[in-house]
Amino acid sequence: MKDLVEYIAKSIVNAPDDVQVTEEEDDQGIILKLQVADDDKGRVIGKQGRIAEAMRTLIRVKAAKAGTRATLEIV
Amino acid sequence: MTQLNASRDEVRVNVVSEGKPGLLGIGAEEAKIIVERLTPMPEPEENEAEMEEGVAGIAESILERLLALMELEATVQRQIFQTTNGEEQISSPLAFDVLGDDLGILIGRRGQTLATLQYMLRLMVSHQTKVWTPIVVDVEGYKKRRSEALQALAVRMAEQVRTRGTPFTLEPMPAYERRIIHLALADHPHVTTQSIGEGDFRKVVILPERD
Repeated sequence: MKDLVEYIAKSIVNAPDDVQVTEEEDDQGIILKLQVADDDKGRVIGKQGRIAEAMRTLIRVKAAKAGTRATLEIV
Repeated sequence: MTQLNASRDEVRVNVVSEGKPGLLGIGAEEAKIIVERLTPMPEPEENEAEMEEGVAGIAESILERLLALMELEATVQRQIFQTTNGEEQISSPLAFDVLGDDLGILIGRRGQTLATLQYMLRLMVSHQTKVWTPIVVDVEGYKKRRSEALQALAVRMAEQVRTRGTPFTLEPMPAYERRIIHLALADHPHVTTQSIGEGDFRKVVILPERD
């Protein structure tokens, strides 16, 4: 799950080396935490959170295929 | 010419000295020539086409990578087709069809997941190429089928509006689907179309033409 978020994030930020994704799992499913350079925050969130929402939609597809749930937080 | 990577008709050759063939290769002198390039290289049109090819390659590999990371078994096929706009032939934008079994999950309710995939691909490609390129992504011809169904629906409803003389409101649709309806009825002699409502609830109304 982590690799998908990492790939997308690294492709849309200016500082790909600063992209970090952590993955935790609890009874609700997988929790992904995405960290990027301060200047890149807007690039992964987007206007009205459109980009973050798009990432969540694609993550949901993968999670559904794997029979689990996943949430994405931008920290 | 080989050094300049040019063909014979792209260069002017000025002979400085003819050279001598010599006898059995003895005493031979090489001819001295100046080769000038006549056409600037590469030609602007070619350049544009080449650039577009580059973008196509980038887009295709990003899309393939995304699908692989989503653990979907799918292949990407480049779509090259021509659309006609009246008399004019317009070449379509960069378009890909994702093929595979059981890809309904990638289309989503009313194509919303597919729209997201297309949005994300455009974003990733444009960030890499620094050029905003409209790219169309389809899954198993879903958009094509949907477009045909919408056109048929538009024609059927227009006929109803014409005979009954009362407006008909279609269900809410995303912008590109409303556009299909508007275009399908643009030349219709008896009805006009209009979009009403806001955001996700925006829908097309087919109205009888008053004359």
